[in-house]
Amino acid sequence: MAIRVQLDRILLERRMSLTELADRVGVTLANLSILKTGKARAVRFTTLDALCRELDCQPGDLLVWEPGPQDPGVEG
Amino acid sequence: MRLPTLKPLGISAPFRTVPLFRTLGPGSVSSLLKIALDVAYVLLMLITGILLLAFVAAIFVPLTGPLEGQTYVEGTGDAAREVPITRTLILFGLGATSAYFGGFLLILRNLRQIFRTLTQGDPFRPENVRRLRQIGLTLTVVTVGVAVAQGLIPSIPDPGFSEMLTPIFSVLVVFVLAEVFKEGARLRHEAELTI
Repeated sequence: MAIRVQLDRILLERRMSLTELADRVGVTLANLSILKTGKARAVRFTTLDALCRELDCQPGDLLVWEPGPQDPGVEG
Repeated sequence: MRLPTLKPLGISAPFRTVPLFRTLGPGSVSSLLKIALDVAYVLLMLITGILLLAFVAAIFVPLTGPLEGQTYVEGTGDAAREVPITRTLILFGLGATSAYFGGFLLILRNLRQIFRTLTQGDPFRPENVRRLRQIGLTLTVVTVGVAVAQGLIPSIPDPGFSEMLTPIFSVLVVFVLAEVFKEGARLRHEAELTI
């Protein structure tokens, strides 16, 4: 997908592990892994809120748009 | 204030501790449906098994006993005539009936599998779409088969349009349900990938 989640970079900057973030945000490690690897189809505002609070960043720091092929699943 | 628990009285709530069967509460519609499905499945298995055994027996065992030399009346009114009961006729009858009940057995097997996914709390799966389509196809084949068989045997009147309306509608309903389940499975997949 053309939207990329920069969780790797921010976690590296904060020196935080994915497991620790999962504990703090209250999202399972499996789901956070889906988000990190870019397989997620949508992010809830509540999740985004918790991520930004724990990582002390803005949504724009987490999400980046890159030109690329459109996800075929959009039309269903 | 602490509420009194049921433990000291020796009473426990066994059904509340099993979240897997939450749609199968005791006395609920689902549990009655499950009993009906199980009973019908076992009965159909027995009937189909007996019919198949009779079919195999009719192939090998020569026609003797009370059926030998018997006839039946074919047609009505002036066209009525006596036809002897032959082995071919018996084989056709037994085979057609076995296939009829076998079709229902296949439908019931799929229904039970769908019901099992429901009790597991996740009925919107691609397998259930396939199962519903199979049910629809089986219903179509059984309906067409019955119509053809009735056309072949002159003593049974051909089914009219009104008699065919109910099976046609049930086939349509099943196929529409399959499409609904397909959409449900897609939504379920999307919800799983929403973090």
